[in-house]
Amino acid sequence: MKGSGTCDFAAVARLADVEPTIREEVRLDQARALDRFLADVEKRAFRIAQMAVRDRDDALDIVQGAMLRLARSYGQRPSEEWKPLFYRILYNGIRDWQRRSSVRSRIFSVWPSRSRDDEDAPGDPYENVADNLREPSRQLMADEAMEKLEAAVATLPTRQREAFLLRCLEGMDVAQTATAMGCSEGSVKTHYFRALNALRSQLGEVWGS
Amino acid sequence: MNEIEQTEFERRAQAAFTASVEALDAQTRSHLNRARQAALAELDRRERAPWRSWLPAGALAATAALALVIWQRPTDSAAPDDVAATAAIAELPASDEDLDLVSEDPEFYAWSAQQASLVTNGSG
Repeated sequence: MKGSGTCDFAAVARLADVEPTIREEVRLDQARALDRFLADVEKRAFRIAQMAVRDRDDALDIVQGAMLRLARSYGQRPSEEWKPLFYRILYNGIRDWQRRSSVRSRIFSVWPSRSRDDEDAPGDPYENVADNLREPSRQLMADEAMEKLEAAVATLPTRQREAFLLRCLEGMDVAQTATAMGCSEGSVKTHYFRALNALRSQLGEVWGS
Repeated sequence: MNEIEQTEFERRAQAAFTASVEALDAQTRSHLNRARQAALAELDRRERAPWRSWLPAGALAATAALALVIWQRPTDSAAPDDVAATAAIAELPASDEDLDLVSEDPEFYAWSAQQASLVTNGSG
């Protein structure tokens, strides 16, 4: 073999000089890619979590936990793998929340619950900040449509709800949804089909389809 | 219901969902932005000090090893006989030269060990 037994020390030294730079560039690229991915997915993930737990603050906590967990455990993985992994973590967070919530509701079922007004802290600094709203009449219609959809989605069994939110609203394909839900692609198709039928029968008249 | 109807239903659902995402309030957007920055800081920490991820496992392994050593160690409440035997062993010859002495006069060393044992038991 040509050059066997000899060592090009200069080349090794050059490589040693260059390697930290390359490593730093790879690190920055990975950080930028994760930033883009999270920025792209965070708002939809929040709305999906909010539809599942029906509470804004809890949904924010769940999304924040999923972001941290993704960065901590899978930040080094190729960016194509992030989406199903992120939603899998998110749904684990939602299921944990639902489990805790069910235990809490069993324990405190005899106590009167607080009203929603009590939960909104006074003196909110963002209260008067302009939101990203569209024309009021169009926004109102969209809000009503979404309100009805949310109410209908809330009546679905858990797995059907997950399949509908990920496949239809998040726009994931069957394989990604199966990874996120931790089940087979066949199960995803079944759950999704049943979810669509149930929602159509509930919203068909309202939505005019 | 046919496939076209299904697609139309999905399109409407997606449109309603997208509208609700776009209408998120400033406070929620700000909160999500902060959460993203925290996640990126976490990634940075991990990449700069990857050994940190092994800290919990290392601490657990060290604790387990320590527990094993403590568990395997003989108890301190040794019998007085053990103390006497230890004293006798301490008096036993260590070098080759001393071993020669033992072979010359084994009865003396047996007697010496017995005396040490008697003294220890008498004092205790």
